[in-house]
Amino acid sequence: MRIRRLFKWTRFGIFAVFGLIVLSTSILCIYTVDTELSAEYEVNTQNIAKTIADSSAGILLNQNLATLQSLVDQFLEVQGIRYIYITSETGEFLAHTFVPGIPEEILESEHSNTAPVERSLPGMGDFIEVGSPILAGVAGTVHVGMDLDVVALKIQRAIGQQVYLISVMLVLGVLASIWFVNLAAKPLGELLAYAVELAKDGEKDELGERELLTRDDEVGHLARLFLHVSRQGAGRGLPTSVSGTE
Amino acid sequence: MQSSPGPEAPTRGNWGPLVTRKSVMRSGLAALLVAPFAASSLAAGRGQEPGDADTESSDRAEGRGATDEEIVLGVSAAFSGPSRGLGTELYRGAMAYFNNVNENGGIEGRRVSLKLYDDGYQPDPCVQNTMRLMLEDEVFLLFGYVGTPTVTRVLPILKKFQDEKIFLFFPFTGAQPQREPPYGDFAFNLRASYNQETAGLVDNLVQIGRRRIAVFYQIDAYGRSGWAGVRAALDKHGERLAGEATYSRGEKFTGSMRKQVEILQGVSPDAVICIGAYAACAAFARDAVDLGLDVPIANLSFVGSENLLKLLTEGQDDAERYTRQLINSQVVPSYEDTSIPAVQEYRDLMARYDPQVPADLVQEEYAPFPHSFGSLEGFLNAKLMGEILRRLGPNPGRAGLEEAVFSIEDFDLGISERVSFGPDRRQGLQSVYHTVVEDGRFVPLDDWGARFG
Repeated sequence: MRIRRLFKWTRFGIFAVFGLIVLSTSILCIYTVDTELSAEYEVNTQNIAKTIADSSAGILLNQNLATLQSLVDQFLEVQGIRYIYITSETGEFLAHTFVPGIPEEILESEHSNTAPVERSLPGMGDFIEVGSPILAGVAGTVHVGMDLDVVALKIQRAIGQQVYLISVMLVLGVLASIWFVNLAAKPLGELLAYAVELAKDGEKDELGERELLTRDDEVGHLARLFLHVSRQGAGRGLPTSVSGTE
Repeated sequence: MQSSPGPEAPTRGNWGPLVTRKSVMRSGLAALLVAPFAASSLAAGRGQEPGDADTESSDRAEGRGATDEEIVLGVSAAFSGPSRGLGTELYRGAMAYFNNVNENGGIEGRRVSLKLYDDGYQPDPCVQNTMRLMLEDEVFLLFGYVGTPTVTRVLPILKKFQDEKIFLFFPFTGAQPQREPPYGDFAFNLRASYNQETAGLVDNLVQIGRRRIAVFYQIDAYGRSGWAGVRAALDKHGERLAGEATYSRGEKFTGSMRKQVEILQGVSPDAVICIGAYAACAAFARDAVDLGLDVPIANLSFVGSENLLKLLTEGQDDAERYTRQLINSQVVPSYEDTSIPAVQEYRDLMARYDPQVPADLVQEEYAPFPHSFGSLEGFLNAKLMGEILRRLGPNPGRAGLEEAVFSIEDFDLGISERVSFGPDRRQGLQSVYHTVVEDGRFVPLDDWGARFG
């Protein structure tokens, strides 16, 4: 006989607790990964801008713009960096990586601004742009645009991996819990079936020889108790094995 | 004349291993990273003491790449990709001269060999090729490189290995980095610079009243070099760039340049100066004409004039429509002018040897031209290189190279302009020539006003 009702709420509770754990862990994970990775990409972009700015000073003073462009091109190979431009102190574009031309929004922007700004450039996508002054700004400014889509993709991938791991653990945890509950429910089902048999045919001799009566746990004690009560009711003596239930 | 065999890949025949782009891209950065260590290990491997550095360096510089039988020159150039015509033409011209030298006993009994690698006009493979030429092949010197983005990335390597006294001779680029500090001491140039070419174009255009000049350029060191030249030349006339549009290196003729044309149409230029390679510049000229941008379109010498013309005219019913506004700047005289002794010599040797790029380096079909500005430049490069090698005497060594170059004074290369070098003069020629298309070929432009005024 299967035990369904007794553990119904237990199973529901397990699902609820595990679900809550997964949900809260996922939310925390998404928030942490998103915040941390976004900050890291922004810092990396700022570092790249600073590196270019530091390397550009001498080149700019020599007006060696081909070398400057070559330098810029090399940093464009860094994953996620989609554009770089260098403006002079007067706002003239001295090197850049835009094709087929410099976008209007960038042409009209304040070139000496080095604070991070989010840009949406038509035909190119969404970017976070950071700047770094060259020689404290007197020689110009370097601007580096990081593709937000690439950053978002990286973050999604990192979050996806974590959520996947947590989900796998949830499924395994729930399955294990059900298995343990079933493990506990099985002897109870046998006990229930035994009790029903005792109620129907309590005087049968074979009911006093069941394996259930030999169990050294609560189920065994209960079985022996049920048999004892059943036989006592029928005016028969107690079997010696039932004494352990006293 | 054949190049030396490649010991690493004997199946590739006599032209050395062909470096695939993928493998080169993978190891390009690695090469840069190991460069300092490679230099250290070279020194360490010879038990060098700090105090012996100069002596040891000089000793090392001697004898590399030159045996009793041959002198090996290292070449990394574009033999594949959309700009393969540039490397091919330059090589053909150089080999026409060296073949003749070798057939006549070589230089002091030594054959002149070229060790070739393909870089596809891409910086990372070029860096990798250069490391290999210097460290593995131990060539005598570097010769006939193609392109600004490639050469600008190689220059720091030459500076790093300056104790090896290895120099880059006559690269096919007019950019400034190999003409100025901090890398100017490691290269020798024959051709005029892009600054001289762009100044020539701007001065003439301004003179005929075309003051609003826009630039269409390749977005890399080459394009920026030309852009800076146009900007500086305009500045002298009190003008600024009217506008600019860009394209990515490696663009093909089949690509569209309509967006670039539309950007420049928006600034209503009087003329456009293109700083690019033939495939992209031909695509731009085609789309400019198709979209009604009817202004002179000038190109620099690097463009590869014959290939540009071929793309614009091949299969066209009305080819003149696409070429009548073209102005091409050149750094060598016309190969049609047989009154020039060097041109006659070039034509004779091209006809006699008709050099071809080794089959191992040919990835895509390319039909070379019997004559071209590129191959004439390669020929003149080789001719001057031969003279420098002769001046090294019977025991050529790298340490004597600079002195041999500086001994070139008022040297008659066979064209109207004489060549001189010195510690402060590392560019041999200064002349710029302007050409336009007439009857399907490039001819000298004598009267700017009559043609474009």
